[in-house]
Amino acid sequence: MSHLLERQAPRQQSERQTWNARTAGVLLLMAALLLLSGCATGPRLASPGDMGVAERTYIDGVPFHAQRDYQCGPASLAMVLNYAEVDVSVDTLIPQVFLPNREGSVQPEMQSTVRRYDRVSFVLDGNFASLLEELDAGHPVVVMQNLSLPLWPMWHYAVAIGYDLDEQLLTLHSGEEANRQESFRRFDATWARSERWAMVALPPGELPVSTGPRRAMDAIASFEQANDAEAALPAWRAVTERWPQDAMAWFALGNAEYGAGHPEDAANAFRHATDRQPDLAVAWLNLGLTLEGLGQRSEAHQALQQAASLPSRWQDDAKQALTRFND
Amino acid sequence: MMKKLSRVLSPLLIAFLVLGSLPVAAAPQAAPANSLVTTQDALSADQVSADRERINEMLSRQDVQDQLVAQGVDPADVEARVAALSDAEVRQMAEQLDDLPAGASVVGALVFIFVLLLVTDLLGLTNVFPFTR
Repeated sequence: MSHLLERQAPRQQSERQTWNARTAGVLLLMAALLLLSGCATGPRLASPGDMGVAERTYIDGVPFHAQRDYQCGPASLAMVLNYAEVDVSVDTLIPQVFLPNREGSVQPEMQSTVRRYDRVSFVLDGNFASLLEELDAGHPVVVMQNLSLPLWPMWHYAVAIGYDLDEQLLTLHSGEEANRQESFRRFDATWARSERWAMVALPPGELPVSTGPRRAMDAIASFEQANDAEAALPAWRAVTERWPQDAMAWFALGNAEYGAGHPEDAANAFRHATDRQPDLAVAWLNLGLTLEGLGQRSEAHQALQQAASLPSRWQDDAKQALTRFND
Repeated sequence: MMKKLSRVLSPLLIAFLVLGSLPVAAAPQAAPANSLVTTQDALSADQVSADRERINEMLSRQDVQDQLVAQGVDPADVEARVAALSDAEVRQMAEQLDDLPAGASVVGALVFIFVLLLVTDLLGLTNVFPFTR
């Protein structure tokens, strides 16, 4: 800027400076308002000890794919899928996830495309601490940012691969830059505008460390629907190992075992579900139907009776099944 | 000659098109009497009857397919893309595809906005320009 000013006549220069000062003042005022509205606060973090994460971490071996045109979505997917040992190129992913007329990719399709490569997509709970926990566990995280302001959004996908709590820095493969370092504060300001959307892609059988059972089960149920029960079995087994007291986890495992053609394992899983939660009517119903198929009629009858007697949204189905069974 | 040919061909083509579209239009097959309650149905909290939900599901999947084609996706890719979506994602896409943010990293910037963003970049609120770090 300075060499431009030097060429101008002194009078023009002073006018120019007045204008500059006024503009700068207006901008500063606006910026101050933004600051006051609170969007500039850095993430409030518990101490690393409380979060149970290391001071710093860097996930080695996440390949970097520079984005071309507007294709940060496919590029980010390729990075996490490659890291999860899926051999897929950005060019293959573009027609699967990119929306040409929007010149971008939307979150639901980022999630669904992961499933097409036999990996489970888990959306995280949108906490900064969760992001750090996943990185600490060695899971690269796809994040969505709005690099600009809400009025003129500049949506962007990047892959977080490391952090340093001491320096307050996050490391990302982003756009055309590998291992880019962003301060926690700036990153969180841009990440918060996507409501802190973040996703990990893991092989069935591995679970994110930061999510609860419900979120994990929703992700695996979606994976199972897009693929099949057989593919989802390791994931459901992992859920029952992580949350052995969760009846729905056992119920879901039962369904997957049944779908994969193992009715006896299915019945066992349903029994676990009804042990954990004796009023889980839907588990009694599926247990009864499975046992009926196995020819274990007396236990099947008991299970169906339980299902029909418990008030639930499946009560009518259970009563019908019981009537049919008795005929 | 052409007229004759088309008179013969048109009804055939229509018939084939109708036949071809039948599997899509058909309602989901009635579940066998002793089919298990699926995990997705059990997890979904709302009380709508499962059958009605399934029909809506099919309709919105079709709807999302059409929307993707309108967004410039190759029709050959559309079916597999929609098949990978979960029920909740299909609903999200069907209801608000136009409002969903699309990650692309471009900004339709005017000069004024350019300056504003430069300032917010320097303040660490945004991250539009790589050189401000």
